[in-house]
Amino acid sequence: LPAGLSQWFPALEVLDVSGTGLAEMGAELLSLPCLHTLLAKNNRLGGPGSLPKGLGQAPLARSLRVLNLSGNRFADVPPALLQLRGLRSLSLGGNRLHSIPPDIQELRSLEFLYLGGNFITSIPPELAKLASLKYLVLCDNKIQSIPPQLAQLHSLRSLSLHNNLLTYLPREILNLVHLEELSLRGNPLVVRFVRDLTYNPPSLQELAGRTVKTRNVPYAPSDLPESLVRYLSLASNCPNPKCGGVYFDSCVRQIKFVDFCGKYRLPLMHYLCSPECSSPFSSASQSSTSQSESDSEDEASVAAHRMQKVLLG
Amino acid sequence: FRYTRNLVDNGNGKFNLMILCWGEGHGSSIHDHTDSHCFMKILQGNLKETLFEWPEKKGNGEMIKKSERVLRENQCAYINDSIGLHRVENISHTETAVSLHLYSPPFDSCNTFDQRTGHKHKVTMTFYSQFGERTLC
Repeated sequence: LPAGLSQWFPALEVLDVSGTGLAEMGAELLSLPCLHTLLAKNNRLGGPGSLPKGLGQAPLARSLRVLNLSGNRFADVPPALLQLRGLRSLSLGGNRLHSIPPDIQELRSLEFLYLGGNFITSIPPELAKLASLKYLVLCDNKIQSIPPQLAQLHSLRSLSLHNNLLTYLPREILNLVHLEELSLRGNPLVVRFVRDLTYNPPSLQELAGRTVKTRNVPYAPSDLPESLVRYLSLASNCPNPKCGGVYFDSCVRQIKFVDFCGKYRLPLMHYLCSPECSSPFSSASQSSTSQSESDSEDEASVAAHRMQKVLLG
Repeated sequence: FRYTRNLVDNGNGKFNLMILCWGEGHGSSIHDHTDSHCFMKILQGNLKETLFEWPEKKGNGEMIKKSERVLRENQCAYINDSIGLHRVENISHTETAVSLHLYSPPFDSCNTFDQRTGHKHKVTMTFYSQFGERTLC
């Protein structure tokens, strides 16, 4: 970027330096107080110096709304970027990212996040803290699973997951009440009922932990070693409302199919505390009887009513 | 949040001429063309067209890809139901794309197909805008 940029154009609001071969953007950016849109796609950014030092303290950190860094060479998200508190729209499509930093949650105002066309293998649950996120693009990556916490993205309207390595989705995906579009094609989604047959019986520690939790046995931090206090705090509730049990490490994974829009069958992963535990949506116990299938269809048709466009095919 | 269909001219009921605007990563489902002629010209960017065979009557397997190609700016393509089915997508993560489509006779519904099973599903197509005015559902 030319030195003196901010002296010549102090009122600059939109700067487009896409396709210029830029390898670094320096301090010239820091003194542009009105800049709200920075487009720098298809350049050679990605190394150190891609973003200026001191970005977090500059006026830019609060004024910048739109940042497009797609088609560059970023192998990781530069920490400086996460200081852009006012950012509403971020694109890092077509880079070389292998992961998303948990500190992405710092971008509190983010509404649009484009991360398609990278090498991302997993999604940090912290992404779910982006309460304003409306549009999330994760297509063309190497993602194997979606954290159930993603269902906390209450503002999410559009989720793009096509061309990844997903075999199932968490059942919590049904909780995304505002989701209108979901693309899932090009994933190796399982098409048949799958129950994890390698259920390892719970350890004595797990059985004791379950008893403490379900019987509400009182305990104080002084009663137990710190490691056990922490262990007890990690109890997960069995999703079956009739069970009310908890589990720690030992659980049954079961994939149930839920019909979306009456047409597409999505494999959703349920965790149950034991093989004897009824599956969440059925009153009968055990496997997928037609009763339990139709119960889950009822739940899904309520969710599907909200989810208007499932782009599977 | 997905590609938009913008009607430009309806040729006195004989055809539909529309402009489709594709954001980065946007793609269509696999669809047929309800017995009409379909011409497509790329006005900006690139679009990938993947052709599929019609699934068997009681389709219950992965649909068969016939061919795929990337259409560049100013290139034209044609399809009708006797040629097959296709999916059109903007596979770029950095560039948007714009295409011009001519359908004759006009149609407002078609079938979309699940690539994994060949199951079809009739859908009604809607316009994002018509003659420059935003169409509200």
